[in-house]
Amino acid sequence: MKGIIFCKRTMKEILRDPLSYIFCLAFPLVMLVIMSVVNESIPKQANMTVFQIRNLAPGIAYFGLTFIMLFICIQVSKDRSTALIMRLHASPMKSKDFILGYTLSVIVLALLQLLITFAASFATAVAVGTKLPVTGVLLSIVCLLPSAIMFISVGMIFGTLIGEKAAPGICSIIITVVGMVGGVWMDVDNMKGVILSVSRVFPFYHGVKLARLALAGEYAEMGQPLLVVCAWMLGLYLLAIAVMNGKLKKDTY
Amino acid sequence: MAKAVEIKNLRKEYGAKVAVNNISFAVEEDTLFALLGVNGAGKTTTIKMLTGLASPTSGDAIVLGHSIVKEKDKVKEIVNLSPQETSIAPNLTVRENLEFMAGIYGMDKEKIARRTQEMIEMFSLAEVEKCRAKTLSGGWQRKVSIAMALITEPKLLFLDEPTLGLDVLARRELWAVIKRLKTEVTVVLTTHYMEEVEALADAVAIMVNGEVKAIGTIDELLAQTGKQNLEEAFVEIAANA
Ligand SMILES: Nc1ncnc2c1ncn2[C@@H]1O[C@H](COP(=O)(O)OP(=O)(O)OP(=O)(O)O)[C@@H](O)[C@H]1O
Ligand SMILES: [Mg+2]
Repeated sequence: MKGIIFCKRTMKEILRDPLSYIFCLAFPLVMLVIMSVVNESIPKQANMTVFQIRNLAPGIAYFGLTFIMLFICIQVSKDRSTALIMRLHASPMKSKDFILGYTLSVIVLALLQLLITFAASFATAVAVGTKLPVTGVLLSIVCLLPSAIMFISVGMIFGTLIGEKAAPGICSIIITVVGMVGGVWMDVDNMKGVILSVSRVFPFYHGVKLARLALAGEYAEMGQPLLVVCAWMLGLYLLAIAVMNGKLKKDTY
Repeated sequence: MAKAVEIKNLRKEYGAKVAVNNISFAVEEDTLFALLGVNGAGKTTTIKMLTGLASPTSGDAIVLGHSIVKEKDKVKEIVNLSPQETSIAPNLTVRENLEFMAGIYGMDKEKIARRTQEMIEMFSLAEVEKCRAKTLSGGWQRKVSIAMALITEPKLLFLDEPTLGLDVLARRELWAVIKRLKTEVTVVLTTHYMEEVEALADAVAIMVNGEVKAIGTIDELLAQTGKQNLEEAFVEIAANA
């Protein structure tokens, strides 16, 4: 219950910051439009499929989750820098309440972002003369949720460990890595070699692939990426709990 | 009279720095106790230990019957504090800030609504209740910060420099509120204003370099030092320690 109350306050803090809208909602939409335009100007012979809307939509939806990570990271580090945290630490709130509150507050934001991104993708698909399968889109959203929780965990870990000033920097690095090895902006599968092997080490490539397979309805191949994504989610969430627990137990005053 | 706080040999070290040096004293229930001392004397550190924010290096204190070492969680439920630094959620309105605090101390909906209204009236916050906390002036934020501590119905309330940054009128208004509290709540406050102590305190402790150098009623301190007013007595004790 305390977690829910803390969640409500965190949501209010985030939703009342105009930056949230720019990054979480406007950014995916802008990328969607730009990349669709880019795709239109790529010659058919090039056989570039990443920017086709059925690949682009899940890719951008996944990439958008990195901004959720940035947001929760900034919120956690900001909370730590204000005097309010002292009051919260003096209250009967436990670390599980903090974790639950932070997670729930941005899961809602992530869901909103996914819905908007896919709704816009629908429109874009129509505009370029194709269609996205509805069940595929819904399944894709469900498959993106474990990744959302994974990114939220990473955000909470860095938000707890580093300060308000350094938090955005660290997140930018992760966002760049996701862009590079996640296969959002390039066809990692066709690059073979080093990039593909590096990609497979991180969960990003698998997360993007899972979302694309779900949208395409290729259920048979989803098992392996799903397993990888869920394993990372679980591992990082547990780590987030451990890190936050450690911080609360440690005598910071 | 029963004791709200019984401090026994409480000590806090930060590395090589001894912030609180084996202090012992007691605070009677339903009184107002003033903790005085120059900057860095250890007042805030003492409050942090008594509210479960910092763990003592050694020693213990019994707060309303519970040890701050062994029953920290229990202590946290029944005491509250208004930190030295104004402590509010910036993007929440005044009303939301109050409701939020009541909520995380486990009050039900009805009680939250009732207590919020009581605090808004007690601290005359009606005209700003819908304003985002960060848009208020420092003095108003201060009042909200104190109301946020009181809304949880603590049996023991710590006010760390409550009137810092308040204008003369607001200060007197807050004194009146604090005086009314005394009948139901034990209050421990720190301040650098001697008039405040004279207006409010039943008992006073003067800390110097992490130690309690003098303790008693104002009259007792005057008699001890042979001075005419509290400020003189304070200077005498603080400077000659
Ligand atoms: N977290 C900390 N780490 C290291 N030293 C600390 C810490 N907190 C307090 N101190 C030191 O402990 C001493 C007592 O500090 P404290 O904040 O309790 O003083 P105070 O009496 O509240 O002073 P003021 O009137 O300025 O608020 C100071 O020397 C301070 O530098
Ligand atoms: Mg202090």
